[in-house]
Amino acid sequence: MRPIIGITTYVEPATWGVWRDLPTTLVPHDYTEAVTQAGGRPVLIPPHDDTDVLDVLDGLVLTGGPDLTPELYGAEPGPLTVTHPDRDRAEMLLVRRALDRDVPLLGICRGMQLLVAAAGGSLHQHLPDVLGHEKHRPAPGVYGEHDASFVPGSRIAGLMGDDLAIRCFHHQGVADAGKLTVTGRAEDGLAEAVEDPDRRFVLGVQWHPEVVRDERLFGALIEAARQ
Amino acid sequence: MRRPLIGMTAYAQQVQYNSNDLVAGMLPMTYVRAVHAVGGRAVLITPDDPGTDVLDSLDGIVFCGGNDIDPAYWGAERHPETEVDKERDESEIMLMRAALEADLPLLGVCRGMQVMAVVGGGSLHQHLPDVIGHERHRAAAGTDPLAADASAYGRHDLITEPGSIARDLLGSHTVVNSFHHQAVDDPGSFTATGWCPDDRVIEIIEDPSYAYALGVQWHPERTRDLRVFAALVEAAAKRSGLKPAFAA
Repeated sequence: MRPIIGITTYVEPATWGVWRDLPTTLVPHDYTEAVTQAGGRPVLIPPHDDTDVLDVLDGLVLTGGPDLTPELYGAEPGPLTVTHPDRDRAEMLLVRRALDRDVPLLGICRGMQLLVAAAGGSLHQHLPDVLGHEKHRPAPGVYGEHDASFVPGSRIAGLMGDDLAIRCFHHQGVADAGKLTVTGRAEDGLAEAVEDPDRRFVLGVQWHPEVVRDERLFGALIEAARQ
Repeated sequence: MRRPLIGMTAYAQQVQYNSNDLVAGMLPMTYVRAVHAVGGRAVLITPDDPGTDVLDSLDGIVFCGGNDIDPAYWGAERHPETEVDKERDESEIMLMRAALEADLPLLGVCRGMQVMAVVGGGSLHQHLPDVIGHERHRAAAGTDPLAADASAYGRHDLITEPGSIARDLLGSHTVVNSFHHQAVDDPGSFTATGWCPDDRVIEIIEDPSYAYALGVQWHPERTRDLRVFAALVEAAAKRSGLKPAFAA
């Protein structure tokens, strides 16, 4: 039996077929396909206060999405911060329980930021205000392409090898990684990867490895989930 | 004690939300809320991943609504109004066979009921208006069958067979919503136990030899009458030695 990998989902008004703006739980197909190709069995986890679902999950992918509620890291919302408090609440409960139980976790974009908030860290609410450029989100629907640098000996350095190219799409970023270790950075110094070396597998990346079905990262999650 | 884990068969298709237009795995929240409201925990099973191993982790499963089933599965030619979803057909027919084999408690809703009938060796009417001469089982495209201004369409009486699971759950008579243009013709190995009294369209199929195998043609998840969902979660809990966790 393949490891069962939970994938957190959005809840959005969605339009397809005959339906218009129907409240729908969804996640981009890239995530499920990346898990499948790497040898896991994805199931989508709609937001709910229940965390006992972790009893049957071997690993968890925390997906991208809207901004985190700044209250989660002790800040007031900035003018460009767009949040979904119900999703935040459910995912924070899920992440804390998963960390307690040492369930392997891969956090992507918003999911990495969630790991940081759970570890007592904080976020920049609008990067262009801090960095003075838009390279992490160049335009709607356009990924910012960078080469990242990784800390030698870190998990992410071992997984990425010589191919350092990453694809970003975010306007918030990590200010303080809390108890996590920053193991990757963009050219401008922004944290791109965080890890918790004290746990079995806790990896957060600010970029979008699911878009290229990056088996280096998803394969490592699934390998950890097998154990 | 954990909530019974209920798999929900989901869509994987092109969808628009906010400023995005992409392929997503997805399901209307009405299904998710229905399972949560009766004490279960919903997870979505997308059709893009062949294999039935996921069933080992579930306590029950809902086969959800969607497009039409390819009539090739019961040896018929395709009607011009039939719009199939090949990926979901393949995935859900495989999952349905395995779920029945494992006696995993299951509920079929609309298309899900039709998947039951087809897997049971039965067949469907491909376009109900051709058979019954009216459109009252289908609301106007995109409208909510329960919306106040849609009362003339997509709502009808339902009667149940004495001695059936349907009768136990719903009594002899109730009123249901309706949003479908196909319907079960021959329920195959299942037994029809509920009908629309006006036109005898089959509305419920079941097989009492399983822990819980019930199909309904209407959309209980879009109503406050969640009795068929509650019975699924109870059967799932019983099978796995759990209790449904009723939300406050």
